[in-house]
Amino acid sequence: MTFDERDLISRSRSGEIEAFDLLVRLHQDRIYNLAYRITGNREDASDAAQDAFVRAYQALPRYREDAAFSTWLHRIATNAALDLVRRRPASTHGELHPEVPAGDNLEAVVDRREITRRVHAALGHLTVEYRTAVVLRDLQGLAYGEIARILQVPLGTVRSRLARGREAMRAQLTDLVSAEG
Amino acid sequence: MTHEEARARLSALLDGALPDREAVQVEAHLEGCSSCREELAQLRTTVTLLQEVEPMKAPEGFSAEVRRRIERLAQATQHSPWTRLRAALSWRSWSWRTVTAAAAVVMVGVFAVNLLREAGVPGGATRVRMPELALDVSKVGEGARTLAQAVPPSAGPGEPVSMRRVIRTGQMAIEVERFDAAASRLFAIAEGAGGFVADSSFSDEDGVPRGTFVLRVPAARFSEVVAQVEKLGTVKRRQISGQDVTEEFIDLEARVRNLARQEARLLALMDRATKIPDLLAIEGEVARVRGEIERLTGRLRFLANKVDLATVQAEVSQKPKKSEGALWDFKQTLERVRTAFLNTVRQMLGAAESLVALAAALLPVALLGALAWWLLRRGFRRADRIP
Ligand SMILES: [Zn+2]
Repeated sequence: MTFDERDLISRSRSGEIEAFDLLVRLHQDRIYNLAYRITGNREDASDAAQDAFVRAYQALPRYREDAAFSTWLHRIATNAALDLVRRRPASTHGELHPEVPAGDNLEAVVDRREITRRVHAALGHLTVEYRTAVVLRDLQGLAYGEIARILQVPLGTVRSRLARGREAMRAQLTDLVSAEG
Repeated sequence: MTHEEARARLSALLDGALPDREAVQVEAHLEGCSSCREELAQLRTTVTLLQEVEPMKAPEGFSAEVRRRIERLAQATQHSPWTRLRAALSWRSWSWRTVTAAAAVVMVGVFAVNLLREAGVPGGATRVRMPELALDVSKVGEGARTLAQAVPPSAGPGEPVSMRRVIRTGQMAIEVERFDAAASRLFAIAEGAGGFVADSSFSDEDGVPRGTFVLRVPAARFSEVVAQVEKLGTVKRRQISGQDVTEEFIDLEARVRNLARQEARLLALMDRATKIPDLLAIEGEVARVRGEIERLTGRLRFLANKVDLATVQAEVSQKPKKSEGALWDFKQTLERVRTAFLNTVRQMLGAAESLVALAAALLPVALLGALAWWLLRRGFRRADRIP
């Protein structure tokens, strides 16, 4: 945590909305990405990420500076996204399942856009638990210990969810991974 | 290790997240199993692909929307205190039996939660989902606050006041009996010395909790803080350094003074300049001087902060447990029960304290109200008497 962020946090705590606004701007992209990959579509992602920041503002008096602020936000945002996903019927995951044309040629899929599209589609086929683990680890780049705290599960559970989630991803992206390997 | 067991561990192996012993076993299996080797290669590529995913930007106007929601929320809660007060006052309709029963239930509940927490039951706190609560490690902070009150701020060691400016840094590795207790103490030490914990990280990767804490404390309390930190356990490594920056300080201050004089001269020149090229040249020079002043004062502030606040970095690790073999560690159980009991008492005292504080806060309002009521009544009575 940087010095400036500590300052922003304590000012937000005393009700200075300008300071909190700045904190939101600093973290909004990362938190929005997290919400987007878990919920699968822009609308839900935007709702979940907004919910997360509003909840964070309310919970700020209870935030202790011994955990990284970003990890703390990740926990709140993950819960907000999961709340949304569980409340909505599975059918609204539309954007997560775009058509994947059969027989993609390699030149096309090397393109980063295409990889992004394929990964996003594949994520949509995972159960929400595996998807969350994979997103936190491989897309958001968090450490096992942080993920355990965010999800409130033991380290062993993080390991096994991640293993199953990645295996499911490998199986869906098999045309890409076996060609490159 | 069987093929299935090894296969299930490949993902963690990629991240180096396996305990050493298991990693060795999986590596051994890989030697002789081409199918697992292929799987590992594919998993590695999969992870690379996942990391390739393009990050997105939050939609336009995102932070403004968050702000709008927070402001609306603040307006909404302005009405609620009255409703809440009325609800709180309706306790009169409760019977004493209900109140006593409720209190007993709360006490038992709090005690049970504390006991579970002490016992480190993983699901203990998890069952209730409270997304807005701080992370688990936040308990360390709570402990630290209560401890900080118990530690009297002892007087500084009486170092001679000198004009030397020294950046003090201490680094130590310490092995402790209980990591949680040590972490609490570190926060208490920092706060007790008028400082704070600037950064901390925890991990318990292979069941051995460890963490790094960066304490920033007033320079005058540095040696005292180092001594307190070292009392937490066995010191495995220690490095204390002092960097004298007096010369740099004096030099920087002199340069800033010179530059400020130069800037004043340039501004005066600019007032007298009439030709555009001259004006532009002077303006450019003013900007350069200003930039330099800002850079130097920034460096001065940085140094002053480092001088005023010494840095103590403590790497804390918990001693590996020996009593694993015992069937039931009675002493430890007793200790847990004791701690849970004390926690309950502490939390109840805290609640009582909040109640007293609330009553004290309301007292002036009540007095004012009574006065107003009395004045109003007197006014009415007088009005009655007038024929
Ligand atoms: Zn095998």
